[in-house]
Amino acid sequence: MVFNSYTFIVFFAVVLFLHNLPFTWQIKKINLLLASYLFYAAWNPPFILLLWLSTVIDFYVGRALYTQQNQYKKHLLLVISLIGNLGMLCFFKYGTFLLENFTFLVNALGADFHPAKPNIILPAGISFYTFTTLCYTIDMYKKESAPVKSMLDFSLFVTFFPHLVAGPIVRPPQLVPQFETERKASQKQMLQGLLLISLGLFMKVVLADSMLSQVANDVFDSKAMLKTLDAWMGVLAFSGQIFFDFSGYSTCAVGVASCLGFVLPENFLYPYAAIGFSDFWRRWHITLSSWLRDYLYIPIGGNRNGQFRTYINLMITMLLGGLWHGANWTFVVWGALHGLYLSVEKLIVDFRKRANATSLETKEIKSKTFSNFLLALLTFFFINVTWVFFRAPNFTAAWQLLTAMFTAAPKAEVLLTTLSIIKVSLIIFLLVLFHWLMRNTRILVVVEKMPWWLLGIVWSVLLLLLIWSQESSSSFIYFQF
Amino acid sequence: MNSSLKKAAILMATISFISVLCWELYVRSIGFDASFDDDPSIWADKRREVYKAEAEATVFIGSSRIKFDLDIATWENVTGNHAIQLACVGSNPIPVLKNLADDENFKGRLIVDVTEGLFFSPSMRSSSTPNKNLKFYKEETLAQRTSFLVNTVIESQLVFLDKDRLSLNAKLIELRIPNRPGVFQFPIFPPDIGRCYFSRQEYMTDKFLTDTSQQNQTRRIWAFFGKMNRDKPPQGAKLDSIFTVVKTSVDKIKARGGQVFFVRTPSSGPLYEGEKRGFPREMYWDELVKRTQCVGIHFADYASIDKLQCPEFSHLSQPDAIVYTKNLIKILSEEKGWKFSKMTQP
Repeated sequence: MVFNSYTFIVFFAVVLFLHNLPFTWQIKKINLLLASYLFYAAWNPPFILLLWLSTVIDFYVGRALYTQQNQYKKHLLLVISLIGNLGMLCFFKYGTFLLENFTFLVNALGADFHPAKPNIILPAGISFYTFTTLCYTIDMYKKESAPVKSMLDFSLFVTFFPHLVAGPIVRPPQLVPQFETERKASQKQMLQGLLLISLGLFMKVVLADSMLSQVANDVFDSKAMLKTLDAWMGVLAFSGQIFFDFSGYSTCAVGVASCLGFVLPENFLYPYAAIGFSDFWRRWHITLSSWLRDYLYIPIGGNRNGQFRTYINLMITMLLGGLWHGANWTFVVWGALHGLYLSVEKLIVDFRKRANATSLETKEIKSKTFSNFLLALLTFFFINVTWVFFRAPNFTAAWQLLTAMFTAAPKAEVLLTTLSIIKVSLIIFLLVLFHWLMRNTRILVVVEKMPWWLLGIVWSVLLLLLIWSQESSSSFIYFQF
Repeated sequence: MNSSLKKAAILMATISFISVLCWELYVRSIGFDASFDDDPSIWADKRREVYKAEAEATVFIGSSRIKFDLDIATWENVTGNHAIQLACVGSNPIPVLKNLADDENFKGRLIVDVTEGLFFSPSMRSSSTPNKNLKFYKEETLAQRTSFLVNTVIESQLVFLDKDRLSLNAKLIELRIPNRPGVFQFPIFPPDIGRCYFSRQEYMTDKFLTDTSQQNQTRRIWAFFGKMNRDKPPQGAKLDSIFTVVKTSVDKIKARGGQVFFVRTPSSGPLYEGEKRGFPREMYWDELVKRTQCVGIHFADYASIDKLQCPEFSHLSQPDAIVYTKNLIKILSEEKGWKFSKMTQP
């Protein structure tokens, strides 16, 4: 089920109604759990078994990990959990990719191996709930938080429908305590939630789907060498589309949870106003980047083993982060570019530190100076280059597009209509400007300061454009990850 | 904060309600009727119906002509037989034919509309809508189906929900901002050329039938498509391979007890002349009927329908679609041996 569908409106109205009836908290939690399973099953019912399997294994393994004193058995339990979770992810997400690469490799070595192409369907949200359950078992292993007492609470932690299929990726301490006491949205939470849902849907339906997706599709699907203007417009359109699509989903998720009285962590903080790449990753898909930092980068050594190892660790983290997004080498290159950017940035920061200059890590980057704005634009420029690999179907297409972006090919073709160019230019200009103006604040803080009549007008414009765009309920890009 | 949010929410609800109401009343006042978005979900809804017994239903595939020319209410009233419209605008029907042929559970009657320029089109573009619809049909989730049911109720009541003509993007396209030389701009069809019933039948509005400028605009679009299409009609091995694909599919359906008929719906004026020149009948239509050993009904062979005129050269008006449908039923029942369970006099 997607947030931008009539099914969800009906579903959510029923869930809200049940949640506000005078039932016991236990009954309300059961309602929420059943609703979450229904939310997931409305997609592909058999895959709910995987969700159950993951929940049951991690609940019992997590508890055993926490109480087990024998280090050998503890390691074994952790390995079971890792194999269970990552094995499932590997099979469904990377099975075909691994087989293809294995086939390519053995054929390159002279063997005549042509296996049948497996027809594996990727269960929605598997990457997200696998990371959610993994962080629980790892936390139990490290005794960083107490085990969840009831299976009901743990099941809800894993399955709670606002975050289930596309995040935010929640940690046990962020959500589990919220299930322990009764939650009911105050009027303020309910209205804030509805506002965030309207904003999220506006971002997804109006901006991502209605205004930008077609331009991005046309450019990235084009077989012809394009003019520089067309190539850049396509990349900028995708840059906007991926942000509005994913951030729109996260905003809806936070809003939906708020209407039920829960708080989910923020996932985006105006990333296109980031100054530098570490700042970007503190603003883009925050729950994934902090997950990768805490459960991958730091455990493999982080910055504790010297400068060279730090770069290697950064690279490993970003390569795996790239692979998390999809089973394709283009995603690995996307991750590698980010790893490279972060490494170069770290090199510059370290150099400046040694020269006793103020580092980019200090509060200097918070100030909205013109030079910082130019740095943000430079960061945005480099981020756009990475999106080429993220969106292109293969390296040939990516390379062709990059060539079009940076050279004037003699027989390049024009593709985009003037209307498309105007739409992309205007939206991306406003997007970057809005991110810059908002970079040190939060939307709800700004809302709080707005006069009520202005907020009412802005809110109605969002809603009317949402209705007017008449886009069908297309899926969110991040569901495929 | 709480009270200002509440006031803002009330203001938002008031502005939104009044704006939507005014927009709905305005589009009704300028002659718009409720029309369904002919998207993959409505196509999938019809595709699910094909398993009805032969005596109960007939499946129609093809391109836009059969969508305009078959008047489903007339067909169903006269024959007592349900018409399942699976044709796709501007498309080659072969992907749908293959899909039905590969579906072991389909054993019914199938009528294939042949618009030569699309049926014998080697371009991938003409298969994109059928392929998109088929993909959606195969992958449709329970949630999507529920959304479709809710949407059907809303779309039948609100006229402004017309994506092709009244959505934000449709209105932006109507601005007709000039493009750089060399940019392909898909032609903009006049707003009143078609509305879509829930049955997926298309019909021209009364306004279109009286507005010669809209008709001429559409005629110019057909001429534009004719000039734009630089692919030569397939011949030799290419044409043979198309016949082979079609025959293989037809044979599969026949082997299960199903029936396949071909129809050539009317076109007129310079468009028909161009079609005759580009796709000589003996080489394409006659050969198709001969190779597949199916019954073919070409409008030009029947005095009762060969004089029907298409206002914009390619599709019939609804009154003429009723005439065409009645005569098609007559030909099928009197000349081709079709039996309908509850046949009344056409």
